[in-house]
Amino acid sequence: MGYQTTTAKMNAIFADLSKEYVIYAPKRYVGDGTFVHIDTIRYGEITDLSEIEFAEKSNYSFKEVLLPISETLFYFTENEMKEADAPKKGAIVFLRSCDLHGLKRMDAIYLENGAVDTYYKRLRDNTKFILMGCENSFENCFCVSMGTQQSDDYDAYLKVAGETVLVDSHWDVLDAALAGATQTPVIPDSVTANDTVVTIPETVPQTLFDSPFWEDYGNRCIACGRCNFVCPTCTCFTMQDIFYTDNGKAGERRRVWASCHVDGYTDMAGGHAFRNDKGQRMRFKVMHKVNDYKRRFGTHMCIGCGRCDDVCPEYISFANCINKLDALVNDTAKEEN
Amino acid sequence: MLDLNTKKIKKNAYRVTKVRGETASRVRVPGGLLTAELLPLIQNIAETYGNGKIHLTTRQGFEIPGIKYTDIDAVNALLQPIIEKLNINQEIPGKGYTSAGTRNISACIGSNVCPFATYNTTNFAKKMEQEIFPNDLHFKVSFTGCANDCIKTRMHDFGIIGMTEPQYEKERCMGCQACVKACKKKSVDALSVENYRIVRNTEKCVGCGECVINCPTRAWTRSPETYYRLVIMGRTGKRNPRLAEDFLVWATEDAIIKIIKNTYGFVTNYIDREAPGGKEHIGYIIDRTGFSEFKKWALDGVELDSRTIVKGPIYWGGIHYD
Amino acid sequence: MALTELNTSKSENPYIPFLSEITDVIKHTKIEYTFRMTYHGDVKPGQFFEVSLPKFGEAPISVSGIGDGTVDLTIRKVGKVTDEIFENYVGDTLFLRGPYGNGFDIANYKDKEILLVAGGTGLSPVKGIVDYFSAHPDDCKGFTLLVGFKSPKDMLFKKDFEIWKKNINIIMTVDYPDEHYDGNCGLVTQYIPELMIKGLTDAVGIVVGPPIMMKCTISDLLAKGFKEENLWISQERKMCCGIGKCGHCKIDDTYICLDGPVFNYTKGKFLKD
Ligand code: HEM
Ligand code: HEM
Ligand code: SF4
Ligand code: SF4
Ligand code: SF4
Ligand code: SF4
Ligand code: SF4
Ligand code: FES
Repeated sequence: MGYQTTTAKMNAIFADLSKEYVIYAPKRYVGDGTFVHIDTIRYGEITDLSEIEFAEKSNYSFKEVLLPISETLFYFTENEMKEADAPKKGAIVFLRSCDLHGLKRMDAIYLENGAVDTYYKRLRDNTKFILMGCENSFENCFCVSMGTQQSDDYDAYLKVAGETVLVDSHWDVLDAALAGATQTPVIPDSVTANDTVVTIPETVPQTLFDSPFWEDYGNRCIACGRCNFVCPTCTCFTMQDIFYTDNGKAGERRRVWASCHVDGYTDMAGGHAFRNDKGQRMRFKVMHKVNDYKRRFGTHMCIGCGRCDDVCPEYISFANCINKLDALVNDTAKEEN
Repeated sequence: MLDLNTKKIKKNAYRVTKVRGETASRVRVPGGLLTAELLPLIQNIAETYGNGKIHLTTRQGFEIPGIKYTDIDAVNALLQPIIEKLNINQEIPGKGYTSAGTRNISACIGSNVCPFATYNTTNFAKKMEQEIFPNDLHFKVSFTGCANDCIKTRMHDFGIIGMTEPQYEKERCMGCQACVKACKKKSVDALSVENYRIVRNTEKCVGCGECVINCPTRAWTRSPETYYRLVIMGRTGKRNPRLAEDFLVWATEDAIIKIIKNTYGFVTNYIDREAPGGKEHIGYIIDRTGFSEFKKWALDGVELDSRTIVKGPIYWGGIHYD
Repeated sequence: MALTELNTSKSENPYIPFLSEITDVIKHTKIEYTFRMTYHGDVKPGQFFEVSLPKFGEAPISVSGIGDGTVDLTIRKVGKVTDEIFENYVGDTLFLRGPYGNGFDIANYKDKEILLVAGGTGLSPVKGIVDYFSAHPDDCKGFTLLVGFKSPKDMLFKKDFEIWKKNINIIMTVDYPDEHYDGNCGLVTQYIPELMIKGLTDAVGIVVGPPIMMKCTISDLLAKGFKEENLWISQERKMCCGIGKCGHCKIDDTYICLDGPVFNYTKGKFLKD
């Protein structure tokens, strides 16, 4: 159901909802960027709509709400394990259409691939998703190429225009709260084109894995992992055991984000690393994003948010890499014919 | 038949050059950053009154050589819009630079461009300009964005090196150690790992911000306040060239401004009037009076932040030719 | 405290380990011990458990033997990882998760002529297969174990070899012999040409060991006439969660922890890190 209401009314509704939900949205953290006087836009708790950064794309995605950067799994003593408590409140998350598609990519890994992930599920089940529209494409976005520019799989859509708030609700609790508001059809803003257009090769022959194509990336990538950390669909983690005592019998086990670009990702206990070359790491990431994942789960993993291109300190463009790879695949096919 | 008061000319930022009859005009650019619109004005002076050449000085100014002493008034008129645009304190409008003792305040490019910078060096340089100019005493002050010290503050009487106090949000940390490696390889190895979390050795940390720059998840961010290391009494010259030593670490902007202004009082009080040209350099004055006397004057009425560390007594090294 | 009162059963939460008692410790070398752990449930050779090691964390350890209510975990002390476990002895406990992975399916090898080539600790994941056919020699048309160790000091499962040699053909070799050693020397691949395999087109080869050893052995077996579909390998990879979440073990669209570590070579040959 679509509604028109005011920011004051909406803030009051959120104040009420905040008794049961923590509200997360992209926020501007002034001066917290990589360099001095540069802001960072990332997810944080909000209490008022005015705190939400609607005008710009967030540097980091919403994924840290469902997959915290560092999450305690359980506490252990010599003979016992105690599962870490879930947050007492649920969560409401503001996010854009591409990210909402990203949620499905996370679901595939955490709810389907092998066992169900207890920690993800308990957060996921208590989270409501509020869509933020995109009036214009941002730099580096290629959602249209990935088919993620629209989504109706939301609990609500919300748009702020001055003092007016437009809401499309799929959530009974919100419908009830907005009962008195003017009803009106509300269609989410979405883009129809991006400056960046990406063509994905349907299959990449394995013979191209060793192509000199990747060497360029090997020379450029510094293995910082930023492209993975900002990505809403990268789901990798590593576990860490923390010991409170010298005898090593009591402590906690955490999981923290991991990146296939960063050193150590494939290292075995004895020290052997299966993918040391940074160009091969790029190949591995790219293939995961647009090819391997699809073979297993039916959709591409990448949702085209362009954050990896936004963040890479070495100006490596993932989008351009796919396009160049597509050209390489086509050229190789022609040569073989 | 030139009849000149060279003292007045020098004070007006013109040089008594080796070429008889010719002077050179020095155009100071506080903080070294100017709008491009001023360049044609400088070009015009060089082409109309100079020999068509411009020298870029070490202290971030333009030296326009080949000017006839007789054209000084005309040049001053052309300098006026430049002086105004650069917002330079001027006692008598239209008379050019009315004082040339305290040298141009120079600054590295800082946060305007440089990824390592911890603050806007130009802005602080301009602020300092407002506080200490015009002045006849020979002071060299410079600002640098970070501990790399590209402007070489350690060769100045007062060098201001930016510092940030890294803020650590442990819940955003993955223990990837990008910060630890950066600090070890590019800075002072002040970070270590304990239970997959990072511990900063606050004694060792120089506030360069390498950890902040290299953290991929914003676990490290900069403190809202900028801090500074104030290094003092570096110099070049014939007798005892030497690098400046730390005076304050984790100092604030206000403290630094007040200390430098206090030092003008100290120099005025102790300067050797018999020195050649009545000029004695601060460093040599402190060598005479002793560090503790300087410190008493410098810190008079200065409010120090709880974080600020005051060093001393300071012993300078350098090469002694005297 | 009796174990039954403790956390010995599996939790709903796949990350929470259960307690298992160490019932026996077999020392093979200075750095390789087999820990016999209580475990009641189905398990296959080639599967692995995530073992929590005090002061370190978890490590994936292959099942190197299956008993009645027990599993054997052969642990090699590599780096800091598994040092601490060596302080644990009989009666002590360890936390386990698993078993994970597909494991070897004995049915795939029954009634066939079997060549098993193992390098060093690569013998652990396939030891259950050797145990089985050594106990049931009539279930196959012949069993040859070709195994290489770095030196005589690195030999594993010495007592088991005594039992196995009664029923199966064993060729053991070491890379670096010492003065007391009078057996075969050199790499396992040196012994492949002289192997007498009766029906090469039907014989199965199982190859497990360090990456280079596997690569060379497989190319030699193919050259000898083994068919790709009759070759089986187990891929050792960095593992963390064991349940298809953490991503570390992934190669193309394959999760080694879920779809492996055992692969038929027709699939395994395409796995490129
Ligand atoms: C009559 C006395 C002096 C005059 C007229 C004088 C003048 C100048 C001038 C015009 C400059 C160039 C400024 C610019 O680049 O914009 C300069 C630079 C410099 N002067 Fe002097 N100076 C005097 C005394 C001294 C003394 C006593 C010292 C050292 C003890 C000194 C050390 C320097 C140094 C090192 C520079 C290079 C700029 C820097 O990086 O600091 N000067 N001086
Ligand atoms: C990331 C590392 C560095 C970068 C990006 C860098 C960049 C620069 C740049 C752009 C300049 C020109 C400045 C100008 O024209 O005013 C310069 C000059 C200079 N740099 Fe570096 N630099 C680096 C490291 C270093 C190091 C480690 C040292 C010495 C230990 C050094 C010593 C110098 C010197 C002596 C100059 C000449 C300054 C002058 O002309 O007065 N640089 N550097
Ligand atoms: S790979 Fe890049 S564009 Fe694709 S979802 Fe991840 S961050 Fe966005
Ligand atoms: S791209 Fe790399 S970090 Fe991202 S999910 Fe895939 S393997 Fe993990
Ligand atoms: S952000 Fe760029 S440099 Fe960093 S790991 Fe990714 S591709 Fe490499
Ligand atoms: S001193 Fe620091 S801030 Fe200034 S230019 Fe050099 S590196 Fe950049
Ligand atoms: S770089 Fe950031 S995430 Fe990595 S260890 Fe340092 S603080 Fe933690
Ligand atoms: S070990 Fe974590 S996904 Fe396979």
